[in-house]
Amino acid sequence: MDRDVANSLNFLLDKLTGLLGRSVPEDHVAGHLIAAFLYVGLLLHLVAVSALVFIWMERKIAGRIQDRLGPTRVGGKFGWLQTLADGLKLLTKEDLTPTGADLFLFRIAPYVGFCASLGAFIAIPFAGQDFPFVAQHLNVGVFFVLAVMGIEVFSVILAGYASASKWSLFGAMREAAQVVSYEVPLGLCVVVPVMLAGSMDLVHLGDKQQGWFTNWYLLHDPFTFVIFWVYFTCATASVNRAPFDLAEAESELVAGFHTEYSGLRWSFFFMAEYGSMLAVSLLGAILFLGGWHGPVPVASLLGLAWENGPVWGYLGNLLGMVNLLAKAVLLVTVMIWVRWTLPRLRIDQVLTTCLKYCTPIAAAMFLGAATWHMAMPDRVFAGLLQAPEANRLLAEPSATPRLQKGGNL
Amino acid sequence: MHWPSFFFLLFGGFACLFAVAVVLASNIVRMAFYLVLSLAATSGLFFLAGADFVGAMQLMIYVGGTMVLLVFGVMLTSQSPFVSMRTSSGQMLTALVLGGTLLFVLSFTAFHVPAWQPTHRPAVDPNTPLLTATPIGMALEGYRVDQLDQPDPRIRQGMSGYLFPFIIISVHLLVVLVGAAYLARAKRRST
Amino acid sequence: MATTVEDPRVIEVDVRTDEMLVNMGPQHPSTHGVLRLVLRTDGEVVSEVTPHIGYLHRCAEKIGENLTPRQYIPYTDRMDYLAGMNMNLGWALTVEKLLDLRVPEKGRHLRVLIAEMGRIASHLVGMGAYGLDLGTFSPFLYAFREREKILDLFEEACGARLTYSYLTVGGATADLPKGWLEKCEAFLDQFVPVIDEYHTLLTTNTIFIKRTAGIGLLSPEMAIDYGCSGPVLRGSGVDHDLRRDGETIYTSMYDDYNFEIICERDGHYPQDQDYPPVPIETMLGDCWHRFYVRMLEVVQSVGLVRQAMEKYQASEGSHGEPIKLNQKLPPGEVYLETEAPRGQMGFYLVSDGKAIPWRVRVRSSCFSNLSVTPELCRGCLIADVPAVVGSLDVVMGEIDR
Repeated sequence: MDRDVANSLNFLLDKLTGLLGRSVPEDHVAGHLIAAFLYVGLLLHLVAVSALVFIWMERKIAGRIQDRLGPTRVGGKFGWLQTLADGLKLLTKEDLTPTGADLFLFRIAPYVGFCASLGAFIAIPFAGQDFPFVAQHLNVGVFFVLAVMGIEVFSVILAGYASASKWSLFGAMREAAQVVSYEVPLGLCVVVPVMLAGSMDLVHLGDKQQGWFTNWYLLHDPFTFVIFWVYFTCATASVNRAPFDLAEAESELVAGFHTEYSGLRWSFFFMAEYGSMLAVSLLGAILFLGGWHGPVPVASLLGLAWENGPVWGYLGNLLGMVNLLAKAVLLVTVMIWVRWTLPRLRIDQVLTTCLKYCTPIAAAMFLGAATWHMAMPDRVFAGLLQAPEANRLLAEPSATPRLQKGGNL
Repeated sequence: MHWPSFFFLLFGGFACLFAVAVVLASNIVRMAFYLVLSLAATSGLFFLAGADFVGAMQLMIYVGGTMVLLVFGVMLTSQSPFVSMRTSSGQMLTALVLGGTLLFVLSFTAFHVPAWQPTHRPAVDPNTPLLTATPIGMALEGYRVDQLDQPDPRIRQGMSGYLFPFIIISVHLLVVLVGAAYLARAKRRST
Repeated sequence: MATTVEDPRVIEVDVRTDEMLVNMGPQHPSTHGVLRLVLRTDGEVVSEVTPHIGYLHRCAEKIGENLTPRQYIPYTDRMDYLAGMNMNLGWALTVEKLLDLRVPEKGRHLRVLIAEMGRIASHLVGMGAYGLDLGTFSPFLYAFREREKILDLFEEACGARLTYSYLTVGGATADLPKGWLEKCEAFLDQFVPVIDEYHTLLTTNTIFIKRTAGIGLLSPEMAIDYGCSGPVLRGSGVDHDLRRDGETIYTSMYDDYNFEIICERDGHYPQDQDYPPVPIETMLGDCWHRFYVRMLEVVQSVGLVRQAMEKYQASEGSHGEPIKLNQKLPPGEVYLETEAPRGQMGFYLVSDGKAIPWRVRVRSSCFSNLSVTPELCRGCLIADVPAVVGSLDVVMGEIDR
């Protein structure tokens, strides 16, 4: 995608500089650079704005759950701008650093977390098909997202260690134990859709579920249905949301790893947290809920496909993006709902949940799904329906079709 | 300037810079942090080379591994809040000699293996991704997709594949883990 | 999973780690005011807990030796500030015992009515704050929503929402205003179904049970040895409540009332057919039982309030006029314990015949209840410390006085 964008930009630049008697060739650096900044800017805005919206949603939903109104004043009737006002307040707060802290690590920790959270979005597609909306189309998209999100824990550990506070250190140690163990079942859950699609390419994974909701991997067979919930539990745990928010357990550890943080640095941790929530929700939506392919294939029913021209294709992609974001926001809402309902687990119970329940269940479901897929490779919707022709024939997008070459495979 | 070369130099420079920082830092957590940065820059090199799978693997395993190292470093060595380790000049010298020798051997090999020489294959189209994971998976099973042009059928088959060495390495790692856990245990007091 | 072990020194000998001394409080989100706990931790395991008190000491006892009993009433409000009405009542009864004074029938029912409403309000805080200690925020607000309604009623009766000074020596400062009983009735009618919500959110919640079952086991013997009282004692299965077992001047207040003491007898709680059964993983005397006792006591108190309202309406005459502000006390000493929401609250008074007592001392229920913390927290995890301390439901104002 981005090469096309870069070359379109180069084309534009060529036209502009043509007035000055200069020319910009195809594949010139300028276009690539502008395209890169464009993508990064878009993703940055997505993460930052979604954090604003999610914090507002969190307050509003928490308010409604708790029989109160939540924010009502700033920015009109519904308190739309409450988060922005809070952000302004945080900007003006003093940037405190505790005496005895390791200042360099203390200062850099929030940014590490935010970068990790933002980095995951590079490989997440927002719409697929012929010209996917994705910053960098990777063949191992799922793997990349998980790997990059794994770095986020590092920021928590750095923050906890560098704060020179015992509570922070407790939070960091809890986080380390929790995230390291939850990566195992999370990986096992993610492997199931990867196995069904035969690819780690997120664009391909989403497009394999095109059409009606019956093609979603959530409803592929009973095992995938179970594993989606395991995935959701593990994802909640891996982004540190209640009831797994042990690293910041406020009734035990004051504020855990961010006890000593204030102002903008503190808010970076929150941006990272909400960014990760969105990332795991997007991943869950792509892997299990059809991604940009809705419960009803509105785009293809309306003929919004690339075959009918770029405008229609673009509109279809845009619709798909809205669809995917809606699903992700729904999952985030469930996370918020859970947070305001359940008490927090204890550290040993969190690890028990992971090692004694999530991991074995995920492993068993993986085996079950594999067997099911072997027995009924072309059936969807719990084996009740034949998979559509288009979905079955969909090949993994690839630049080098080397595998077909030898013939002896 | 060739754009990929710029990034290659950037990532390579970062990797070397932070590697040196690991050696020179005296605080164990800072060392780990620099190590992570160095490894992340290395994974950037992999991504640059189009080896997405290896790059992601590098991130996942090494960053995770370093983190565990860090936790253990803090837990097992910490007497005061900030652990610092000073290196004597003698140790520095030994390390320099050893490291220098290793570097020489590695670079000497790298420049003298014919298969590792730069080729002038055309750059692949970056619009659609390379199949990076699939060939590795096939190779594990014994199908070397990069050796399909070989005339010798045994080499074309990739002989036994990588599965056997892979298993040996994983068993080895398991042994190391068990050993580490054993060493970390104190003698159980009889009650 | 029970994490309590016999000898705290053998915990976690597998991996050699350093012990760490951590200050929990006096400024900590979960220590209920200004309690300071010093934890000796080995990783996540707490090997020793030492409570430190005195951060809210206001010389309440000494002040009592400089004021007449009626002037002292506002200071009793500030002892257990979550149950000011019950504190007023305890002091009033103590002075009445010295004066050998009996309040009229109407005043007696008024006192039962107000004291039991105070108990409901206090247990609501205990319940909500306990949810907060375990990391869930919503039950806290549900509890405060109902407590606010009780405070509204109290405000209407006496003009204050926290420090009431309503019940006083000789009776109450004022009679209930017109229409108060109807409002109270309406409150009770809507409150009883709400209790089920609390049971859904906390009592029967799997995570809640996992966090509280088997944690902070307090054996009946230990509870008696440490002088625990109130729900903490009854949560260990000791059938003792001063409303039934106390001195006559106090028990006569509840003479013709029907209520049950909430305590497990033969493996059953009274009313447990109406409310969720006891989960099998819980053990008598753990945090869950202490919480459950409070929840059921609220239901008993609702019943008592309903009876008191009937009797109050049926009785004629005065609600009991307060004694003169500077009334002389007969010489002598007197001690009386009453059943406050958090346990047995005792007032001790020595008079040398003047209007101002010669000595005033207070026996705090929470002080004794808190003193079991080191025993209960030995060998538990850090997360269990708020769970244990929260289940004891201490109020520092009463401990430090």
